[in-house]
Amino acid sequence: MPTSHTAFAADRRAILRSAILLVGGIAIAPELLAATGPTFFSPSERAQLDLLCETMIPTTDTPGAIAAGVPAFLDTLMANWASPKSRAHIQGVIASLARAAEADTGKPLAALSAAERADWLARRDSALLAAKDPAYRQFKQLVLTGYYYSEAGATQELRYELVPGAWEPSIPVTADTRSWAA
Amino acid sequence: MTFDAIVVGSGMSGGWAAKELAERGLKVLVLERGKSLEHGADYTDGLSPWELHQYGMVSENEADAEYPVQSQCYAFSAATKHLWVKDSDHPYTTPPDRPFLWIRGYHLGGRSIMWARQSYRMSEMDFEANKKDGHGVDWPIRYADMASWYDHVETFAGISGEANGLDHLPDGKFLPPMALTPPEAEFGRKVEAAFPTRRLITGRCAHLTAPTKEHEELGRSACQYRSLCERGCSFGAYFSSLSATLPAAQRTKNVTIVTDAIVHSVVQDPKTGKATGVRVIDRNTKAGRTYDARMVFLCASTLGTAQVMLNSRSAEDPRGIANRSDQVGRNLIDHLSGLGASGIYPGHADIYHRGRRPNGFYIPRYRNVTEPADGYVRGYGFQGRILRDGWQRGMSEAGVGADLKARLRKPGPWRVSLSGFGEMLPRPENRITLSETNTDKWGIPVPHIDVSLGPNEHAMIAQVGSDARAMLELAGCTDIEVRKHYGGVGLGIHEMGTARMGHDPNTSVVNRYNQAHDVPNLFVTDGASMSSSGCQNPSLTYMALSARAAHHAAAFLKEGKI
Ligand SMILES: Cc1cc2nc3c(=O)[nH]c(=O)nc-3n(C[C@H](O)[C@H](O)[C@H](O)COP(=O)(O)OP(=O)(O)OC[C@H]3O[C@@H](n4cnc5c(N)ncnc54)[C@H](O)[C@@H]3O)c2cc1C
Ligand code: SF4
Repeated sequence: MPTSHTAFAADRRAILRSAILLVGGIAIAPELLAATGPTFFSPSERAQLDLLCETMIPTTDTPGAIAAGVPAFLDTLMANWASPKSRAHIQGVIASLARAAEADTGKPLAALSAAERADWLARRDSALLAAKDPAYRQFKQLVLTGYYYSEAGATQELRYELVPGAWEPSIPVTADTRSWAA
Repeated sequence: MTFDAIVVGSGMSGGWAAKELAERGLKVLVLERGKSLEHGADYTDGLSPWELHQYGMVSENEADAEYPVQSQCYAFSAATKHLWVKDSDHPYTTPPDRPFLWIRGYHLGGRSIMWARQSYRMSEMDFEANKKDGHGVDWPIRYADMASWYDHVETFAGISGEANGLDHLPDGKFLPPMALTPPEAEFGRKVEAAFPTRRLITGRCAHLTAPTKEHEELGRSACQYRSLCERGCSFGAYFSSLSATLPAAQRTKNVTIVTDAIVHSVVQDPKTGKATGVRVIDRNTKAGRTYDARMVFLCASTLGTAQVMLNSRSAEDPRGIANRSDQVGRNLIDHLSGLGASGIYPGHADIYHRGRRPNGFYIPRYRNVTEPADGYVRGYGFQGRILRDGWQRGMSEAGVGADLKARLRKPGPWRVSLSGFGEMLPRPENRITLSETNTDKWGIPVPHIDVSLGPNEHAMIAQVGSDARAMLELAGCTDIEVRKHYGGVGLGIHEMGTARMGHDPNTSVVNRYNQAHDVPNLFVTDGASMSSSGCQNPSLTYMALSARAAHHAAAFLKEGKI
């Protein structure tokens, strides 16, 4: 329905503006947050977090976690969203993963090559998930949310349509098919 | 000035009452306790996930401190936070071992903004149930009294669905149905082959799949398949008070809407016994004032209406208005929910879906209809869907790095979920009362809600789970997980029964026209009037009852009967 699409586009800015008023602080791009937003983590925690996020979701033919603003997203969440328990979880995961990396490989995270880090985190990840480690599960949940709901994650890595306009219950899967972000 | 009618509440029921009364030429005052909400401008449906505050995640401390109840509703997020009450501002109590989760929104349009839009008629079986098995009181109406009103509200609201020819889930005036996915259709065939009297049908939902002129005249347009509905829909593509009934009411120029007006109680003339209007407390200034009218419609939602009635105490009616039967506040019912099962549905790896269908399939009730039940009366239906998993599956699966990205880039397996909604029996001891000592910010007594499940409910819960598992197993599903009842009534968000309809003024609160037995110009048309709940989502029935009651009330007024 082209007419409603146009009407919608014209309305969209007004809607955005009112949404900001209503729910407060909406529509702040992650890049902005990185530049001006909270810095909950200490510089060394943040450095570890960057490495962990980028190892979990590396840059490939699409942006990785850092470019998608995932560490910045976690930083904002810890400052504004997290309960004391969640903060303890996430800070604990960063510290314990950093310690484990060194214990497992003999080298600090930053000294490992990207391939070594990926290999090490894959082993750690399956062990922690198998053990149903609640802090690590929350960490992975937040990293994935921060990535796949980011604009880069949703639109470059996956596919997202704000207004699909139609419901197609069955379309063929092809080599190009990507999952919907939402 | 004296209005012809005051409608308390602007939600699903109040919107209908206002529209129908105003269209009959009555001067109507709608009183809404919450803030005003502007259709379109106050919605957040233009925002993509990354544009939402914290990608939609409400801060944990804020949720715990201010929204401990509301945040348990699936539709609560940063995009909808402004549509839920702050629990911290609106206290109620329960016995410590019997939680009740009261999910509500106080704003123009009420929960018609956030509802999930599933719309099913009740049937003759449902209206006869109380009489047949002796639970609750007999409904003084039958399906034949409601059929044309269902037609009326469906046509105006716009309900998409298909005619299935089932006596116990009557067909209606439908807009074209939303298609099932091939696995859903196949699952239906498997279920129907194994259980010949069970049916899997397309969900019936209040969405404009093909708007009519009547819809378009109100500025409503076709559904765009976004599933952002609980944020409000700028297309007006699903039915709400803001998209449909209130604009239709306002078009008559007979309606005045006042928001931020908390109805404290109904004023009753001790001489005539009639209602003369309502007392209101201004939400912002806390000042009190009174509005006069020739009749009053209570549409403040099941618990809100009971609260107003119980608080309308006088020397003549110390237990509250229209409460000679002592049934006001009693027989509180919700639907058993949170039950069911999910699993991975086999095959169909070569197809996917596009668009976000705001609907699913429905398996109408069969227990105590075509199949016997395991030691209980009444029954349940299932809502469900079979769609492919998204990236969220990666949160609990092992895997990191480029492999993780490559895996989650592709759609996951098809996942089936079945959610049972079960009928609860009306029992007088399940009730809302008002505190004698505690009041809220506005000086209104704090409600106390005491509801527990009985043996019938417990027996039913067990079979919902085993039925769901059996259907998934026969379809070859794997990773089946059965979900038990959540343990707190309220989360069905289908509260009903606190001013039940019945023949006898000694055992019921309103008559067959939703008119209070004791106060002829007082009408209760929301879920409070339900004598039993069926297992269908109830709002369509509140709409039909409200429209029907408004029709009769307007006639009574004109005939000088009230
Ligand atoms: C997430 C969710 C999903 C749902 N899904 C479905 C579904 O799929 N199908 C279905 O049938 N139902 C569904 N429901 C339930 C549906 O929303 C309710 O049944 C319906 O809104 C009830 O209509 P109502 O008019 O009684 O109350 P509401 O719509 O809640 O409106 C009541 C209004 O009265 C106002 N009010 C209360 N007290 C006072 C007072 N003292 N003075 C003045 N105003 C007052 C309130 O602020 C509110 O605006 C769902 C609800 C939710 C929240
Ligand atoms: S799915 Fe349809 S009704 Fe829901 S928000 Fe989108 S357009 Fe509106």
